[in-house]
Amino acid sequence: MTVRGLWIISHENGGNLSIRFSRRFSTVEHRAKSLAGSSYVAVPEESTFLQLLLTELGLSDSGKNYVALRDDCLYRPRSPALELHVDGPAKGILWPVLTVSQGPLILACLPLVDVPPDPRPPLASLLSVSQGLTLLAGLQTFLLGSGSKPDSEGLGSRLAMVPSVLLQVCPLGTPLDVPLPGTPTAPTSVGTQKQPAWKTGLHRGRAVVNVGLIETVRSMQYGNRSRQDLWDVYGTVTCKCEVEGVLPNVTVTLSLPPNGSPLQDILVHPCVTSLDSSILTASSVDNYDGSAFSGPYKFPFSPPLEPFRLCSYTSEVPVPPILGSYQLKEEENQLRVSVTLKLHESIKNSFEFCNAHLPFFNRDQMGVVDMKVSSGQLDVSKEKNLLVWVLGQKFPKSREVTMEGKINFSGPTPGPSDPLCTKLTAYVKLHFKVPDMTLSGCYVDQHSVQVYSSAKPRIVTSRELQSKEYYIWNSTGTAPVSSGQMMM
Amino acid sequence: MAANWAERISAFSRRPSGFLSGTTAEAFLAELLRELRDDRATYSVKILLLSPLCEHPTLLCCSDSVGEETALELMSVFAQCPPKSVQFRCHLLLALTSVLICTSCVKSHSRASLDFLDVLLQIAQDTSDIHTDGSQRPLRAIACECLRELEACCPGLLSQRLELLGGLWQQETSRLHQAYAELYTLVLRNAIYQLTQETGAGAEHLKALLGGNTSAAWEADQESGLASSKDSAILSSLILGPMGTVPTLHTGPDCKELRSVLSTLLDESYLLTPLCQATLLHRLTEVVAMVPGVPPAIFRTHLLRLLGTSEVSLLHATLLLKCAFTDSLFSSEDEAFILKRLVVLSQHLLLSTPEKLFYMDCILHFPENRPISCGDGDETLPVLLTPQLASALVPTVFNDSATLLARFNMLSLVYLEEGEEGQGGQGLAYLYEHLSSLLSMVENGCGRELVVTFFRAAFLFLYYFCHVERYSNDLTKQLCQLYLNHTKLAPHFINLADQTQDRLSESSWSVGLLKALQRVITEAPLTQLTSHDLSRHLKMLARVAEEGEIIQQSTLTFLSSIITPSSSSLCTGGDWRLGNEILRVCRHLLVHPSLDSLLTPLADVLQLLVCHYADMEIQDHARLYYTLLTTLSREKLAGVLAQGMEEGGRQDKKQSLSCLIGEGLTSTLTIQQTERAVFRLIEAPPEPRAGDINSNEVQKGPEEASASMEAYRDQFSDSSFASEITLQYQLVHINSHDSHFDQLFSIRLHFSLTDHHYEELGDISVPCLLRERPSAIVQLTLKPRKPYPTSLHASAIFTSPDGHTWHTTLPDIHVAFQQTFLPLPVPSNWGRGGTLSVFEGLWDEICSESGDSAMSLFCCQLKEAALNTLVEKHFLPFLISDASHKEEFKVLFFLPPRSHILLKVSSEEDAVHFNIATDNWELLSHINSYLLKITSL
Repeated sequence: MTVRGLWIISHENGGNLSIRFSRRFSTVEHRAKSLAGSSYVAVPEESTFLQLLLTELGLSDSGKNYVALRDDCLYRPRSPALELHVDGPAKGILWPVLTVSQGPLILACLPLVDVPPDPRPPLASLLSVSQGLTLLAGLQTFLLGSGSKPDSEGLGSRLAMVPSVLLQVCPLGTPLDVPLPGTPTAPTSVGTQKQPAWKTGLHRGRAVVNVGLIETVRSMQYGNRSRQDLWDVYGTVTCKCEVEGVLPNVTVTLSLPPNGSPLQDILVHPCVTSLDSSILTASSVDNYDGSAFSGPYKFPFSPPLEPFRLCSYTSEVPVPPILGSYQLKEEENQLRVSVTLKLHESIKNSFEFCNAHLPFFNRDQMGVVDMKVSSGQLDVSKEKNLLVWVLGQKFPKSREVTMEGKINFSGPTPGPSDPLCTKLTAYVKLHFKVPDMTLSGCYVDQHSVQVYSSAKPRIVTSRELQSKEYYIWNSTGTAPVSSGQMMM
Repeated sequence: MAANWAERISAFSRRPSGFLSGTTAEAFLAELLRELRDDRATYSVKILLLSPLCEHPTLLCCSDSVGEETALELMSVFAQCPPKSVQFRCHLLLALTSVLICTSCVKSHSRASLDFLDVLLQIAQDTSDIHTDGSQRPLRAIACECLRELEACCPGLLSQRLELLGGLWQQETSRLHQAYAELYTLVLRNAIYQLTQETGAGAEHLKALLGGNTSAAWEADQESGLASSKDSAILSSLILGPMGTVPTLHTGPDCKELRSVLSTLLDESYLLTPLCQATLLHRLTEVVAMVPGVPPAIFRTHLLRLLGTSEVSLLHATLLLKCAFTDSLFSSEDEAFILKRLVVLSQHLLLSTPEKLFYMDCILHFPENRPISCGDGDETLPVLLTPQLASALVPTVFNDSATLLARFNMLSLVYLEEGEEGQGGQGLAYLYEHLSSLLSMVENGCGRELVVTFFRAAFLFLYYFCHVERYSNDLTKQLCQLYLNHTKLAPHFINLADQTQDRLSESSWSVGLLKALQRVITEAPLTQLTSHDLSRHLKMLARVAEEGEIIQQSTLTFLSSIITPSSSSLCTGGDWRLGNEILRVCRHLLVHPSLDSLLTPLADVLQLLVCHYADMEIQDHARLYYTLLTTLSREKLAGVLAQGMEEGGRQDKKQSLSCLIGEGLTSTLTIQQTERAVFRLIEAPPEPRAGDINSNEVQKGPEEASASMEAYRDQFSDSSFASEITLQYQLVHINSHDSHFDQLFSIRLHFSLTDHHYEELGDISVPCLLRERPSAIVQLTLKPRKPYPTSLHASAIFTSPDGHTWHTTLPDIHVAFQQTFLPLPVPSNWGRGGTLSVFEGLWDEICSESGDSAMSLFCCQLKEAALNTLVEKHFLPFLISDASHKEEFKVLFFLPPRSHILLKVSSEEDAVHFNIATDNWELLSHINSYLLKITSL
């Protein structure tokens, strides 16, 4: 349940990768030696480690077409656990090297194999593997922030903090925690109740509980009889609780409308104290059972100080919020375009924003764009390879909008290329956000939030629906198959 | 200095071996310890100084005794450090733990380690700050962590303190209770493990263990148990799956005490961070597995919370719980639920890719209640994983490479099991469609990563479904089309053919692919052929020609059409590389089983090359082949080429130039690498020095002291004066008896430096090295820039009696500090007077100057006789004063290019004093360790 070493690698400006930080845990190495016996392979020095890792990740010799060591078809990178083939006097295979990478960063660690090394044990038998992954993910969040866009600005200064962070979370190779966002405040508990190790301090002041519910909808629409359209919805509940006490009790309840379909695949934060078995039964990979439990879903927990994701779920909804059709026709030097979007009647017609993007790949830049839209406005991107249809806050009364016209690709330079979107394979991608609604109908009633503390807390709840990967494929081209769920 | 330390420490941790070749471990360690004791250094620098001791303690402490001394030093630093420097004290504890564990001091219960243990236990119990600011809390946390690591590395170390640790855990209410809980659980687990190893241990012993009143008899056992538990079994996890066995402690059903401890630990586990919860859960799983008296049901109330968690380590610990207790804790409904959960998690949008891949791995190693196979580490599908369930994990073009391949592999396993009918057939159709869409992306010119992914997916598909001809044949067809449009993929194609041939020995798919490729290559029109295409085609055809089953006529027709001067300009261009590629195809054809039928066209092709190819070497080679083909019988031809084929064939990944050209002569033309070192250089015994200064008493130097100094200095106007040191080495065989290398000839030694302190060395030739003859003497002339100890990498090329040329690496040569010493370089006619005045002149200069000069004193206890022997043995060549003048020895070491170390050695009342003066202060640490070494012998 320990790691032998930890490495932080990052791209420098010239694209060069270098080790920015490394730490070896000598006492764990000492254990590794006695556990592995004759099959012990020592951790090589930094430069060797880096080079072996990059080969394994397929990042070495980027100028070369084919490198046998890197590109052999027999080899399946069994990520997240890589093997490094160490050469030289200490020859052998270093395994399992875990890596995670995001943006400019690659993080790696080498968990201790604490079961007999021959034959090679499955990853699943090593608890240190999942712990190593958690440690790496935690460090990644610490270094880059948790947002979708990595913040590499402050990377240098945060890298400098890594040694002191490790002193707290992994002083001797055993991961104890992930780096916490704030520094622990002065402990104030002197009572008899034990303070949770994951709680960095105690809140003093007015009690406020903030519960936000965000549902995300994804879709693949083909406009083709032989290919079923797909969509799915998942929700996350985020809380920020400012409540007094060492171990205060809070309960948040999710409710569904009378005939709502049950919430599936529920995952909860470790601060949830207990769960009812009925909450966990519904699963998206199961056949739908009409008798399934459909709420209310109670989540009793004792909150940490910082905002956290209380739970997540998926849901099966009968229709996608916006149904679209997209048709392209190649005509001599131009492309005839026709797009229709229909907003489903159950969806609140009040968007924060709603945009449709129509990118064109593997063609020259757009020349003459002769398009008409029934609502909203149309922009051509600066690079002249993307149409942006801004639909604004509302669909018209008919809840249907259309776009018709022709595009001439006569620009002076070729536009971007893409291996997938060739010929008539093309898509419209929708980006929208609808405040104060969810597709599943799921909601958090303000009055259902219970806080067991002396002062009456202020409770704020919110919900919203947003799109992600919402594609409408051109029905006259061959759309890529995105999921096999339609085949069964 | 601080900045300098940061640089040096980072240089050390980047490449410890390189760093230490420029100094010695002892010197570096001494420097670190000195700086740690220095009050002027800041704590942030001192923390930095501890990192080499934390990360590489065994490199710095070469023996256990050095480790022990270092630990004592660090403990005294710790004792003197004010309590408010919490960070530094924390790091000191970590460094001490690392040094003591890694040098085996803890294992041998050394004095320092016992003292350290006491210090740690004291800190762990010291809660005096609880009502003040809690400032010492981080130190307590680190002390607990150090104790836990000590117990983890030396299991049983703290067994006697179990009750104490339990008390600390129960009393603590701050976040620190986690550190105590982790420590307590580990000690408990190890103590119970040790009980399982005692014969006759039972409920009573367990009770005693938990109560802390261990009987004396058992304590004795305990000691012996510690000593004997040398094997690593206690270190490893006890949860090993269906084949693992767990040592058990038979207690009967009455273990109330243990049960209550376990329940409390489990109930409070909620208060720990998920990572620590997972560890705790795993340790408790092991404890319950070892004590059958405690039912696994003790975990039941916590299962739902664990199964619903979004934390990967907690769910993993739960899977290991299932692995340990199978159906005694998990019903078959639970099992179905967990598997579904894993499938969901393997594709969950909110999880990271590595986590999802990890969950997929967990599915393929699912701990089933009733496993069918014995789980020998291979991937197997759990029985409950139906195609319907698995369909959630079908690969898509939107997946990243690793996910795509992992899914492709899993789904292939699922559909293979289902057979080609029904769902399996549909699934297979889907997989093939998916492969085709990848292929069309490759066709559309995608990036390198996707190309590699496609070939890996193709290999997986063939690996499982090669026998389904409608797909495998269609794939061949699609691949041929792909090749024609993208000839640069040739190496991928050859690799795919090779691997499918090796792994699917009963299938002929690979040959089929090569046959089809031969057809498309030879049938395609030649008009648009670029030289790049041609080169790749020739590579493919050479691979095709390796297959005895494939008819080669069309290849020959192709070759002849590309080199016929009337139809192609290839011959007149005379491209050397293309020529070689053509010859490579011919070479394979020369040993092809159907050679008889190829004789005439092959001879024609070779003839064409001989007559028309505009490159001399290609012509010569073609002539050689032509001669071989037309004069040798088939058997002989095969015999001549066989050896070259074995090495130059497709097994040989590195296509060295000589392989292409050398054919049967390959091995004589290439330089081969020896598997291990064959010989090495050892220091030659010193030759007796002919005449030293003493015998030249009669002659004299310049009259006055100042004149001697001037004359001495003048010599250095010639920059090459006394700038080199010559070291004698013997070249000897290493004693592994490989008779093949008994006689070696034409040895050329090559040296390379490991630092910048010396000028580059030239190569040295040795005519021969014979095992039965005396070893050869090699003179190594080093020209220092700075006279520091160093290591040299050495390698050699030599010839063995069978005419083969070999390259070998020699063990590194270490040049010790004292090997850089030279006697004072004065003209040979100077007498003692002259040298003595140079000595005094230098001494005075050093005393008066500051700059680079430095004075130092080294003391040690030596008897007079011992001192005389020491001088005799080590200093004689450098002695300036009269050897009979025993009150004070004056010794001068000259170190090229310009450094001097002067010693005045005298016996004082209490000790022998070595007064040191040098004009290069950087040498002080080296001379210090040198003196330390020779005086401690």
